[in-house]
Amino acid sequence: MNLEAFGMDTITLAGSLEVKLAAVRDAGFSQVMLSARDLTSHERGVAAAIDVVRQSGLRVTGFQVLRDFEGLSGHLHAYKIDVARAMLRMCADVGSEVLLVCSSTSVHATGERDKLVSDLAKLAMLAVPLRIRVAYEALSWGRHVNEFPQAWDIVERADRSNLGLALDSYHILATKTAQDELEYVFADRIFLVQLADFMWQEVRSPEDRINTARHFRVFPGEGVHGEDVAALVRRLEAMGYRGDYSFEVFNDDYAQLPVGFVGARARKAASWLTSHLGRRALPWRRGNVADR
Amino acid sequence: MTINEHHPEPTNPLALSGIEFVEYATTQPQAFGAVLQTMGFMPVARHRSREVMLYRQGAMNVIVNAHPEALPGMHPPGAVPALSAIALRVGDAGFAFSHAVELGAWEMPTRVSAMELNIPGIHGVGDSLVYFVDRHGDFSIYDVDFVPLPGANQAPPAIAGLHYFGVVQTIGGDRSADWVDFYRHLFGFSVLPGGQYFGILPKGTLLESPCRNFYLQLIEPPEGSEDIEWDERLLRIGLGAPDVPAAVRALRERGVVFIDRDPVQPTERGALTQIYLGGVTFELVASHLGGR
Repeated sequence: MNLEAFGMDTITLAGSLEVKLAAVRDAGFSQVMLSARDLTSHERGVAAAIDVVRQSGLRVTGFQVLRDFEGLSGHLHAYKIDVARAMLRMCADVGSEVLLVCSSTSVHATGERDKLVSDLAKLAMLAVPLRIRVAYEALSWGRHVNEFPQAWDIVERADRSNLGLALDSYHILATKTAQDELEYVFADRIFLVQLADFMWQEVRSPEDRINTARHFRVFPGEGVHGEDVAALVRRLEAMGYRGDYSFEVFNDDYAQLPVGFVGARARKAASWLTSHLGRRALPWRRGNVADR
Repeated sequence: MTINEHHPEPTNPLALSGIEFVEYATTQPQAFGAVLQTMGFMPVARHRSREVMLYRQGAMNVIVNAHPEALPGMHPPGAVPALSAIALRVGDAGFAFSHAVELGAWEMPTRVSAMELNIPGIHGVGDSLVYFVDRHGDFSIYDVDFVPLPGANQAPPAIAGLHYFGVVQTIGGDRSADWVDFYRHLFGFSVLPGGQYFGILPKGTLLESPCRNFYLQLIEPPEGSEDIEWDERLLRIGLGAPDVPAAVRALRERGVVFIDRDPVQPTERGALTQIYLGGVTFELVASHLGGR
């Protein structure tokens, strides 16, 4: 396993998009996970932000995040379809092949499985002409879907080749979901893996999970669940997962510290993980955005 | 094999019954019209309000669109004629459109023009569109949108029994499953078993329409072609001929040039024309579909 497999997420870093991308590159990474806000909040607008990303030479790991999408009906569903279309267009325009979709937290969303399945199948259909794969993630405070086996059940039933799972070690640790459940998941239907740890043993309530997830995550190797994170990666590698690992570290301290300091910690986390796993052969990777 | 040897009756949710027309976009309508005429397509009508011509041969209609105003969000036509749309004949165009959109198709932008029949359509591959056309009795879309050319035979006969056989589409690497999902779920296409091919270019994935009247061929980039440009788009049309050598002879007499070197020599299975106007080819495929 080598550094090529890992990337940083702009949400971890302070500063402008240009500053963040430079920091990711300077830390030695070749890919970056982007948020829609990176583009829409750029001072020169979305098109200029897309140019900045394409000029950076970094490959875009994925684009986040479509929230509270599935399970709605009537005008709420129509509204979210419009939002999804706009997100898909931005995702395609910035050269990302993966759109991250988090399980719904909406009180207006049904938990009826058939409806969740058909909504995600519809989203996958919208994504086909744009060459985008939809990665569905179980948020640990999701209203109806909050553990990856539930998300996998929906993905499997939807049965669309461009619909798969996003796994986030934080959510798996927060809900203490058994990693053995991955035995039922096909490795080629995992489209993205996000890695983070945290500093305390447990996050029991949904409120604790939200608070920790949004403010107190740390890089793998910095928290108290390092062995579990490493075990997750080891298991994914053994399953045959050859996709990307993105450090999804929301941390209020990192968001106010120099990007060089944070980038160095991300680099250290990648080294920490690889030293725990051994090197893997350079896997198949999609080309850099800059090469297209 | 014979065409009717497959499986149980596939579902045909849209009551699809064939290709009503294909559309090319080009800024060279006269030059391309000359090519079409050598292929046996005769100009029969002109659009009432746009720089659009209708060509016909037997049961096949071809529309050549040189209208300079591109649809919103789409690229304007280029000099090289490009397949820009397939119109599918369906039982009820309004139903077909709403069914497709409900499943996640992108609505095409609408054109508004006086005296113009609105043909509903969705986005297909690349910049192309898929139109839905229904025909009830003697009424056809051409009666409303087009003015017959004075003196032109409105029913020019097919050369050597030529008829629509299918459309070839290039797709990205590892994208076959995505596009199979697209055509299967939106229209009811089914994948022909591996190894079952027609013509002289046996590759890719072959999809059969639910009406069994035509085929789509999906072609991923060949191995080792990472450096060549390989857009996702409609590449060419396939014309069925009950007797390919006879059709080749008849078309050669009209001035059509066929590629005559391995591996695409004209045979009784099929033939491929030279490239016209920098990017257009026509493929002949042995077929008796036209008699059905």
